[in-house]
Amino acid sequence: MKQDRSTTLYLGPQHPGITGNMMIKLQLEGDTIVKATTHVGYLHRGFEKLIERRNWLQSFTILCRMCVPEPDPNEENYARAVEQIEGREVPERAKYIRVLVLELARLASLLLWYAGQPGSAGLYTMGQWSVGDRNYILDLFEELTGGRIYHMYIWPGGVRRDLPEGFGDRVLKVMDYLEKRWKDYDRLMFDNAIFQKRAKGVGIINPKKAREWGVVGPPLRGCGIKSDVRIDEPYEVYDKLDFQVPDMYKDGDVWSRALVRRFEFLQSISIVRQVIEKMPQGPVFNKIPNPHKWVVPKGDALVKTETVRGESAFYVVSDGSNKPRRVHLKGPAYIHGFTLLEDVLVGANLADVSFIMNSLGTCPPEMER
Amino acid sequence: MEQELLDLLVEHFQDRIAGSVKSDKRVEIFTSTSAIEDVLMYAKNVLGYIHLVHFSCVDWIEENEFELMYAIFSPKSKITIMSKVRVDRENPVAPNIDYIWRHANTFEREIREMFGIEFTGLIAEKEMILEDWIEMPPMRRDFDTAEYAKKTFFDRPGREDAQDVRETIIKRTGEELPEFSKKYSR
Amino acid sequence: MVNDKESRKIVDIIQDFARKSSLFVLAYGTGCGAIEIPPTMTSRYDAERFGIRGAATPRQADVLLITGYLATKSLKRVIRAYEQMQNPKYIIGFGSCTINGGMYWDSYNTINRLDMYMPVDVYINGCMPRPEAVIAGFAKLQKLIQAGKADGWERYQNNLEFYRKNQKKIIHNWVMPDYNW
Repeated sequence: MKQDRSTTLYLGPQHPGITGNMMIKLQLEGDTIVKATTHVGYLHRGFEKLIERRNWLQSFTILCRMCVPEPDPNEENYARAVEQIEGREVPERAKYIRVLVLELARLASLLLWYAGQPGSAGLYTMGQWSVGDRNYILDLFEELTGGRIYHMYIWPGGVRRDLPEGFGDRVLKVMDYLEKRWKDYDRLMFDNAIFQKRAKGVGIINPKKAREWGVVGPPLRGCGIKSDVRIDEPYEVYDKLDFQVPDMYKDGDVWSRALVRRFEFLQSISIVRQVIEKMPQGPVFNKIPNPHKWVVPKGDALVKTETVRGESAFYVVSDGSNKPRRVHLKGPAYIHGFTLLEDVLVGANLADVSFIMNSLGTCPPEMER
Repeated sequence: MEQELLDLLVEHFQDRIAGSVKSDKRVEIFTSTSAIEDVLMYAKNVLGYIHLVHFSCVDWIEENEFELMYAIFSPKSKITIMSKVRVDRENPVAPNIDYIWRHANTFEREIREMFGIEFTGLIAEKEMILEDWIEMPPMRRDFDTAEYAKKTFFDRPGREDAQDVRETIIKRTGEELPEFSKKYSR
Repeated sequence: MVNDKESRKIVDIIQDFARKSSLFVLAYGTGCGAIEIPPTMTSRYDAERFGIRGAATPRQADVLLITGYLATKSLKRVIRAYEQMQNPKYIIGFGSCTINGGMYWDSYNTINRLDMYMPVDVYINGCMPRPEAVIAGFAKLQKLIQAGKADGWERYQNNLEFYRKNQKKIIHNWVMPDYNW
């Protein structure tokens, strides 16, 4: 009788190492993975169907819930798509405020990653620090928009309301604090021998194939490819701001991706400072019509944003009625979580699964919507 | 630059495609299911449009057609081509492109499940997101999600379909709507 | 005569006190509410002060926190996890979507009322509830446990047919073991 040495292991959906609610079916030989298959559907809400039943403004309340760790790029993307179809102008100040919100959301999401990445290697102290520090950003959001997680702040034609008095100073104070903390994070996480040994040479993406496989965001930049929607197709006011996109980390492993994110953390802080400095005075929104009667002309638009996990693209179609015909999001996790993850996991160790998932930024609510 | 690209494509494919420059950095082309593979292969291998950004499907029930949208991006020219293909709604079949881009496989699986479009030669599990689904594919326009939810799940009393808050209050209390707020009402 | 409400003995009161002071929450983020769990557990809010902490496996957990909407596919797994948990066990419904469907009330894939499928002890309202609200919800559960009123698991045992009927209405392919303890 032929001996079959492989084991089948169902990792998730209830598993503390899995980011979110999804399942990976693993074929194991010893503790080396020979085959991985992603199974999703545990978080499917049918957003794209629900949006067909909401009018253009009502869609905002559910659109931001598509990706939980970083909801603002979804709002901004959708608002920009509607503006493109309609030809609606956005005031200059509103664009700056949008960038401010996007970058704060990026920082909040990076801090969550700072907790998840070492956390999946067993270093829990980092999570206590960074999630605690994330609360300071959420406090800013709460002051600005009224909500900690979901904001519904960016609208077509601008943002919902102006910054409160003295908000810029408070943002700068938090930025100073985070910059100081960034050095502590370095000492706790990047100087840690355990983390270095776990991260180096694990979860390698072939740099030659990365573009073709649809890899975006930090995993792509971790392969030494300089690609960022913010410089490829500058939206809002990113072309007026000065920031760098890293292309010096070329190994394509978890360690490179971690260094990319570490680098981007500082860049985001710098962008926030520039935005506060350069922000002009003026109105913050162009009035939109009565939402019940608001009709967007027939047309479609494809817009892209750089979220913390990579390029996210919205395809919005209007059929000339007061409800969207189709709003379809392709998030970065849609590619990272399926074909890429299945590929990268082959040959990896079972203990590294959640480590690799965290570094690729797998976000199940975005994968199945 | 966008116009040059469009001319190049039209010159190569003659009357198999038609297109226009949609906006800055966006070129829109219309083609058929028989030509789409050639167009994508040509764009990828010759013109350098190596990144599949998006692959979407829209149900145009009035015209009895589905529209597939393939968005491809070139890191060199920074232009995105949106190629659109119409598929008959009664017998929806489209070519499989996961040999050109591996990750198209995921998009195709989802579209097959949500719209019921068959991709010739697509090898993947039938079930991706839904489990034990027996109704028609849910993303089709004629599938009524609210009715299905009402039939299948339990409503808590007091929750009814999108009502106007002001009208509801009037109904409940009988008070008159102020003049200024009438223009905001439906 | 454990948990007989007419004659709560001193041993029950001591037992309930012990139970309420150490609530192990199953680490199963079923929905988007899972994003507020890390802040609740970490430095600023620090739910461990109240004896609330995570447990990795259902058999070691006391509380099942349903963080938000439940897709029908997820419901099957949640029922499985719940039935594996040891008595006494409690369910907290977290967020508006567990109460009446929230903003997904017309979705074809999410359930609307959690209490038709599983016995809920405490609901936490909001979309999304703040960490303070989560802690308040847990405090309420602790009060109920101390008073011997958190009897969701008993309700589930006594009305198993009712819950099974509702569960089987949306889970067509029922391949789970019987609940028999």
